Amino acid sequence: MEQVQSLVNEICPTSTQAWVKRGAILVDVREQNEVDQLAFDVPAIIHIPLSEFEIRYKELAMDKELVLVCRSGSRSLRAAGFLINHGFDPVKVVNMKHGILRWVQRGFPTKGDLSGIVDMNTGGCCDHGGNKGSGCC
Amino acid sequence: MNIKVLGPGCAKCKTTYNNVLEAIRQTGVEAQVEKIEDIEEMMKYNVLTTPVLMIDEVARIKGRVADVKEIRELLTQ
Repeated sequence: MEQVQSLVNEICPTSTQAWVKRGAILVDVREQNEVDQLAFDVPAIIHIPLSEFEIRYKELAMDKELVLVCRSGSRSLRAAGFLINHGFDPVKVVNMKHGILRWVQRGFPTKGDLSGIVDMNTGGCCDHGGNKGSGCC
Repeated sequence: MNIKVLGPGCAKCKTTYNNVLEAIRQTGVEAQVEKIEDIEEMMKYNVLTTPVLMIDEVARIKGRVADVKEIRELLTQ
């Protein structure tokens, strides 16, 4: 579901590739079990699960370009909004729309098992690998 | 008393909302209850994990369903 909001700039996976090439860091907010199954294969990535984000967000450098990512773009949107509300630059912090689902569809590099993505595609908004740590969606 | 349930409208959020209504019924507390599903509105509250139960603008429970008993206790504190 498309979520309309004006706080966070959002970019697609293709634009994310351009951001990565110029040195942006991907911030993956999916839970550990999801990342263990399938991870983004990019040069610079930090994993901070959403369930730990409130206490660990200070690990992120405020002067770097950050692209927040998750499974579908919903959790990462909230995390990006959280960063901006905590003083991060809204020009440098963006959300990647549609998450790893669209990233995989576009054929961009990943590490791990793609079968879970196919399975998860058929699930509802709160189905992401039986994850219990992230709260809803 | 002002109560808000923040979440994208999934089953957990609906359960929390219904539990709030039930806790209010059981305690007889006068409260305005609001369900906030709009992402822009949610981000104003810095919501990360949902559902969130807010009582008088303070987040009391985050990222899980609040059961009727604990909501009752929060309402009567």
